[in-house]
Amino acid sequence: MILEVAHLKKKFGSFVAVDDLSFSVKAGEVYGFLGQNGAGKSTTIRMLLSLITPTSGSIQLFGKSINQHREEILNQVGAVVEKPDLYKYLTGYENLSLFAKMSGKAISKTEISNTLALVGLEKRCHDPVRVYSQGMKQRLGIAVALVHDPEFIILDEPTNGLDPQGIADIRNLILMLSKERKKTVLVSSHLLSEIEQIADSMLIINRGKKIVEGKVNELLNPNNVRLEIVVDDDMKAKQLIENTAWSKGLKHAPDGKIIVETEAAAVGLLNKMLVENQLNVTSLRSMNSLEAYFLSLTTGNEV
Amino acid sequence: MKFSTIVYLELYKVFRKPRTYIAFGAIAAIVGLIQLGFYADGKSYMQFGLQSFTDSFDINGNIMNGYLMAYIILQLMLVHVPLLIALVAGDMISGEAAQGTLRVLLTKPMSRATLIAGKFTASFIYTIALLIWMAIWALGISMMVFGVDDMLILKSDLVTQIVKSDVLWRYAAAFGFAALAMTTVAAMSFFLSLFAENSIGPIMATMSIIIVFTILNTLDLPIFDSVKPFLFTSHMLGWKGFFDVQINENNEQVVGSIENLPSVMISAGILLLHILGFLIASILVFRKKDVLS
Repeated sequence: MILEVAHLKKKFGSFVAVDDLSFSVKAGEVYGFLGQNGAGKSTTIRMLLSLITPTSGSIQLFGKSINQHREEILNQVGAVVEKPDLYKYLTGYENLSLFAKMSGKAISKTEISNTLALVGLEKRCHDPVRVYSQGMKQRLGIAVALVHDPEFIILDEPTNGLDPQGIADIRNLILMLSKERKKTVLVSSHLLSEIEQIADSMLIINRGKKIVEGKVNELLNPNNVRLEIVVDDDMKAKQLIENTAWSKGLKHAPDGKIIVETEAAAVGLLNKMLVENQLNVTSLRSMNSLEAYFLSLTTGNEV
Repeated sequence: MKFSTIVYLELYKVFRKPRTYIAFGAIAAIVGLIQLGFYADGKSYMQFGLQSFTDSFDINGNIMNGYLMAYIILQLMLVHVPLLIALVAGDMISGEAAQGTLRVLLTKPMSRATLIAGKFTASFIYTIALLIWMAIWALGISMMVFGVDDMLILKSDLVTQIVKSDVLWRYAAAFGFAALAMTTVAAMSFFLSLFAENSIGPIMATMSIIIVFTILNTLDLPIFDSVKPFLFTSHMLGWKGFFDVQINENNEQVVGSIENLPSVMISAGILLLHILGFLIASILVFRKKDVLS
């Protein structure tokens, strides 16, 4: 394990930002850290990097406590925490060179240039950061996290403020770091579709608490689907579905929508049954994306 | 990471920031203006200052010389220089917090105590650089423009004459003492910058504390007498002690002497204690600080 977090808690006064959070990240995987804004993702990441002190709980990175081996651990970690703010009066190259020196490793000019090329900033690296776009700052922030070739990379909302091309570039960069360079990446986001495309495992938190953790492909088992059904007589439809063997879970939403968890093979049969019972099926759609799963978990509308 | 690397990088940042040069520009401009004023009207100013003595004494030579100019400039400037010191020292942590770079710095493999010590050392070096710059302008250029002679110091009820061969070392000592006084200001401003997320707060707080303490020093009320010896502002002008020359039993000046060396040393010690106190407090506070910026 690269990271093991146990019973982590952080209180600010009476407000509990992170509550009894436990999770672990294996070497070489891309770990998605999901939660809505204010769920406690950045607070957790700040604790992982010892920017803030946990109220209780433990954090082990590379098998060592971050409290006792902070410098040794941070030598192997690269991170972007929230916005990648850098020195605006320095150029991109100067910023990267400065943080490279702070990493405590001997990093050559060639390595600095290569890192800038990796994030696509080689042509603008001698411009002052104050003239950079949000996307360029984001990429320079990632370069700062990567320049000392860390084993474990923490990226907090790395696609924030980026255009679609920028988002795709960051996604490809994360995948390249994981697949080609065998780095372990923890990436937080509220852009759930992004996590769905890159993460091997994921953790979803809400109001500081763990909701679910596991392999993305297991959590999004293609054999199980969630269906959102809209019919003209929702009470009758609900009764009918409840009495079948296909329903593994059902929720009747206040707006009349019925959300059913069932096997993929049963979708056609379910639709046929509703029609045969004189119900007018207006809509029947799969909610089997991570986004739908995430929303159902974090808004408490579990099926 | 090596401590020297942190100091180097902090100095690199300080001297790449345009605001750093405001202080150097301000000192050059103010000192230049004072020199210009005295170059034009210095003689009449000196005649006015010495009018109560000229009836009894015959004063000859280059009275308005570089040494006296430097003394006048130091007296005028050392009250205002703290603002210029706070401009950089007060920005050391709060400026990083405001920019959002503090959290980036703290994800790098260095201890918080080392970072604080490195940043404080950079503030100290900046303070020394500013005082050297001030010495070049106030003393060096004044000596070139106004020449060199025995130094007359006008006080409220007396005039002290120091032979010119006995002056330069006193300035070296005075600037050394001023460095201690200004480092105290830097240390306080640095400490205050731990609690703010923009540099205006620590700069204003530093100046407010200096103003309040100076007022307390000035007020001749018994209630404040017990605290005055402990206020660093009471000791900031201790550099003047280097220009008080000992008088022997024949009523002659003792070249190379200081009239009240113990008092100067006590002032220096109190300033040093303040510096250490602020530095240790900064390290202790910062080690436990949650970085939320």
